[in-house]
Amino acid sequence: MPVALKSWKALGTSVHVLSTHDVGLEAASVAVRDVLEDVDQAYSRFREDSELTQLNANAGRTMRISPLLATAIDAALRAARLTDGAVDPTIGRAIRVAGYDDDFSRIAAEALHPALPRERGREIDPGERGREIPLRAWRVPGWQAIRLDRRLRTVWLPQGVELDLGSTGKALAADLAATAAIAAAGGGGVLVSLGGDIAVAGEPPSGGWRILVAEDSRVKPDGDGDVICVPAGGVAASSTTVRRWSRGGAVLHHIIDPQTSLPTSGPFRTVTVVAATCLDANIASTGAIVRGETAIDWLTSCRLPARLVENDGTIHYIGPWPDPASVAA
Amino acid sequence: MGFMDSLTPTQRDRGLQRLRRLTFGATAGGLIAVVGVSYVAASSYAGKSSSGGTALTSTTTTDTTTSSSSSSSTSSSGLQSTPTAPTTGSSGSGTVTSGGS
Repeated sequence: MPVALKSWKALGTSVHVLSTHDVGLEAASVAVRDVLEDVDQAYSRFREDSELTQLNANAGRTMRISPLLATAIDAALRAARLTDGAVDPTIGRAIRVAGYDDDFSRIAAEALHPALPRERGREIDPGERGREIPLRAWRVPGWQAIRLDRRLRTVWLPQGVELDLGSTGKALAADLAATAAIAAAGGGGVLVSLGGDIAVAGEPPSGGWRILVAEDSRVKPDGDGDVICVPAGGVAASSTTVRRWSRGGAVLHHIIDPQTSLPTSGPFRTVTVVAATCLDANIASTGAIVRGETAIDWLTSCRLPARLVENDGTIHYIGPWPDPASVAA
Repeated sequence: MGFMDSLTPTQRDRGLQRLRRLTFGATAGGLIAVVGVSYVAASSYAGKSSSGGTALTSTTTTDTTTSSSSSSSTSSSGLQSTPTAPTTGSSGSGTVTSGGS
């Protein structure tokens, strides 16, 4: 069954929408754009006018929030609970202090000057170029500090606490976008990929949606690697090999360990998980990276198909992950 | 000769005063216990109201239990697997890449 594809950039990453219903692709893409615009407005950490920015700026006060932001915070708290705090939304200040304080496309643009001092809204003194920035850490306060009232849709953060919904937020956005897309497409099946976090909905193509499992979502789909076929649900990958920058002479990445308030340093560099939703897959993959040594036992107990890549390249397959030696499709 | 007959009026007055203090203490202690047990019971089972609250700070909970209007799994249940496990495939048209971003 042929599928139609539309791609663009949003939320600081690539967006791909595939549809088995050719005539429905345009409507599906419009629906996805609408969802992503709502998501950006609700919980972008890099927009001054986003709800999340306003919430973080008003820590210590009870704030009424939109249904979408309440859903995203709800999802983040569930992730924290299910991972025993390994995936914690209160890492906001820690990740900002560590240097991830802007849309990553702008941080990446400064890769030629990895020691460039950055502060939002401040011009860089040419004399400062090349000076190494010391690595700083900010203790993660812990997700239990958040007070969310789902019925009244209010949230309260302690003074100094900043939320970052980046991990679960993108996966949730993929799920929401896929749901909106299939409704707009008027039939068939759709796949939505947000920077490699994938959600599918509706009737899949024959054999399922074909997904190349890579460590970097920018790898071309016809590249070498394991290809799996997924009929439903979601696929998410968490990796320490992307979104990297430099502080204090050390190369850092965006997955923060709440125990240390610093980027994780465990044995696995990439974890890919298949689950009923992209959100659940993302919770499992990020939780596994943070858990480190105990990741395999934990994922096994979750009974989710998973693929883990050690820092030396050794690959582990967990649960009903298909045998890469047998090509069926 | 009875025991009471051996008390002086002063000793009898002191005894009565002690008895009154004991009575007052027991009553106050009972009240405190009733209030305390009521507080614990109210905290343990908040009950529910048919009308919504008006003050933003009237209710705060750290937990969440039910899903929102989206199809996403935001319930408090464990991580959910797909009904059908993934299978091995080969790349071709319609393939997308999963990976870090």
